[in-house]
Amino acid sequence: MAKYVVTGNNVDIGGTDVSASVARAELTITSTEVDVTDFASDGFTEVVGGLKSGSLSLDFHTDFGAGALNTVLTEDLVGTLVTITLIAGNGSTVSATTPSYAGSYLINSLSPVSGAVGDLSTFSVTFPLSGSITKATS
Amino acid sequence: MAKYVVTGNKVSIAGTDVSAGVARAELTITSTEVDVTDFASGGFTEVVGGLKSGSLSLDFHSDFATDGINDVLTEDLVGTLVQIVLIAGNGTAPTDATPSYTANFLVNSLSPVSGAVGDLSTFSVTFPMSGSVAKAVA
Amino acid sequence: MSIAAIRSGIAANLRTISGLRVFEEIPDQVSPPAAIVSLNSIQYHQAFSGGLNIFSFTVRVIVGRAAERQAQRYLDLYSEPTGDSSCKSAIESNRTLSGACQDLIVESMPNIGSITVNESDYLAAEFAVTVYA
Repeated sequence: MAKYVVTGNNVDIGGTDVSASVARAELTITSTEVDVTDFASDGFTEVVGGLKSGSLSLDFHTDFGAGALNTVLTEDLVGTLVTITLIAGNGSTVSATTPSYAGSYLINSLSPVSGAVGDLSTFSVTFPLSGSITKATS
Repeated sequence: MAKYVVTGNKVSIAGTDVSAGVARAELTITSTEVDVTDFASGGFTEVVGGLKSGSLSLDFHSDFATDGINDVLTEDLVGTLVQIVLIAGNGTAPTDATPSYTANFLVNSLSPVSGAVGDLSTFSVTFPMSGSVAKAVA
Repeated sequence: MSIAAIRSGIAANLRTISGLRVFEEIPDQVSPPAAIVSLNSIQYHQAFSGGLNIFSFTVRVIVGRAAERQAQRYLDLYSEPTGDSSCKSAIESNRTLSGACQDLIVESMPNIGSITVNESDYLAAEFAVTVYA
């Protein structure tokens, strides 16, 4: 058994490792619910899975330094699809206990200017997945 | 009378005991409300139960090790039905005081990557039930 | 997994810091620089079937007499987030404590101040360590 404290999940956007600017990453894969209840369902609803979709939520620390987050996730990417690869389990390389998840996401929102006076400049996004997720364990 | 503090409800997913990776489990069975009010209802609404349904909410601790929750609930199960067995009352086997509840649930969502830096990686799901739930006391 | 194994594991990780004396119990005499591993609290029942307990440890690093400049220099080195003398890095160098726990994290160093040991004032820093086992 190996539960883990998140300290170093790996986040790669368009081939660039931006992990050092990420405070939270959450990948959710979902399925719609299709009702198939019929007269033989014994009084209970029955369902099957429909289309699958996903979303990736990220909390970023703003950084305009050379090669840093805001030079990777630039405003001209809004409205385009970008490949983002995550490695879970605090991994830096892919293994059975640190699997990678690669998908194509729509950059639907960016906040290049954010934060109140006195606070670290941060912004959060939730990008919808387009197409399937590819999981790798090696 | 035997009220109890939850310390060890048992959760098995597709035959694998994942209890050690679960922090909360809540099974809810519901019925729709069908109005049958008529002129003889004495000025009050009258209802009967309609179709029944259910849902199972679980809070998990992420774990990619063999037989950890992420090794059991894998992404390819999203959109499929899995059988989940719960034993209430901190039981390990079904009895009158520790009944079991067995049903098929749609895996409609998983979050294989989750958690903010510094936190234990956890994720929560709510799976809709498909068909009836079978209760056993022996 | 046992509290003693966790305590030994944290101590073993700290012993990778050259020159730091490490104690798993409060010693009768302190010869700084010294680190003492203490259990603060336990949260039981964090998962079903005893799947998780959360242990809170304090690693108290005594660096020297409060008035000594060398004490403050030691404190800086031991408090660094990284480096050969970093307590955080040393404690987290083996996060499963060779199987004694599932994971751990050095959350913070919340306190720096004077402590009195054997009627002498020493400068000390406390590291808050959370162990999941």
